[in-house]
Amino acid sequence: MSDVITSRLRPAEAPGEGPPKLAVRDLVKTRRSTSGAVVTAVDHVTFDVRLGEFLCLLGPSGCGKTSILNVLAGLDEPTSGEALLDGRPIAGPGPDRAVLFQEPALFPWLSVAGNVDLALKLTGTPASERPDRIRTWLANVGLEAFADVQPHELSAGMRQRAQLARALATEPEVLLGDEPFGALDAQARELLQDEVQRVWLERGGRKTFVFVTHNVREAALLADRVLVMSAAPGRLLEEVRISAPRPRQLDDVLVARVVSDVHELLMREVERARADGSDRPILPQESDR
Amino acid sequence: MSDDITTDASPPGTADEQFAALELSEEERLVLAKVADIVRRINYGTVVLVIQDGKVVQIEMAEKFRLR
Repeated sequence: MSDVITSRLRPAEAPGEGPPKLAVRDLVKTRRSTSGAVVTAVDHVTFDVRLGEFLCLLGPSGCGKTSILNVLAGLDEPTSGEALLDGRPIAGPGPDRAVLFQEPALFPWLSVAGNVDLALKLTGTPASERPDRIRTWLANVGLEAFADVQPHELSAGMRQRAQLARALATEPEVLLGDEPFGALDAQARELLQDEVQRVWLERGGRKTFVFVTHNVREAALLADRVLVMSAAPGRLLEEVRISAPRPRQLDDVLVARVVSDVHELLMREVERARADGSDRPILPQESDR
Repeated sequence: MSDDITTDASPPGTADEQFAALELSEEERLVLAKVADIVRRINYGTVVLVIQDGKVVQIEMAEKFRLR
């Protein structure tokens, strides 16, 4: 019995092992608003992500979490500070990192299988391996019957699953998600959260996932570690390391407890920001909880 | 919390006396040792014991760190 307990505790017991897969060092990101004022989106943020870790960046809207993800994806550059992948500065997008967007960016003129095929082709998978890989991944996300269907014929949840299959079929070392389930209805969201938990589990600690979300439940359900960010300008407020076996359920005692703690912290933060006169729309919605 | 334990579950006395009275099995002592280890390492957080059929089958924990 003690073996069972030991093995299930491992993720959070060994937080500092090995060099970080991703590292964010003193990252600052500013942007110019339409009125010309310089707005600080990310304010001196530093954190590491270990190989095989599932990290969620959580915070109110406008706190800069997407800015951080874009820097990690290589879609944007830091104003100052740096972002490292395997110890090397991130200079641009690469096949080692796949990104899931809130709106699945599928090519509308390609079938579901065609979209996955293109990603495989672009990342250099030999043509002989591609049909198998496509079949496997469409089956993994439950879309095997929809291989020849065009994206517009799919529901939003199915399009998101197609995006997940396309992202994972290329076997990226890092999966970055920018509110990937934010636009889905509650049922589709839950199905995909289960899907992601399963995929991450099957990869047995070799894939590094970083998801950005403003949904506290999603973070508590998925992450080994949740980084809670402040209202704009975004700083790190609190880190929560969650060591509970997967697949997790929202009504697991620990998950529910983390949700309630983090929700309270965020509400306090939102109230603080409002009292400070911040004019940003940062109220978490009821559905975020 | 400790009040509940002393009044409801255990006879009063020193820790040694209470442990002696419980006559813990090897399994139970392993669980308690694990819990003690976790409690020592966590400054802020939550520990959940999952019990099935009268046995602790899982220990889950969430540890919090203030970063600011």
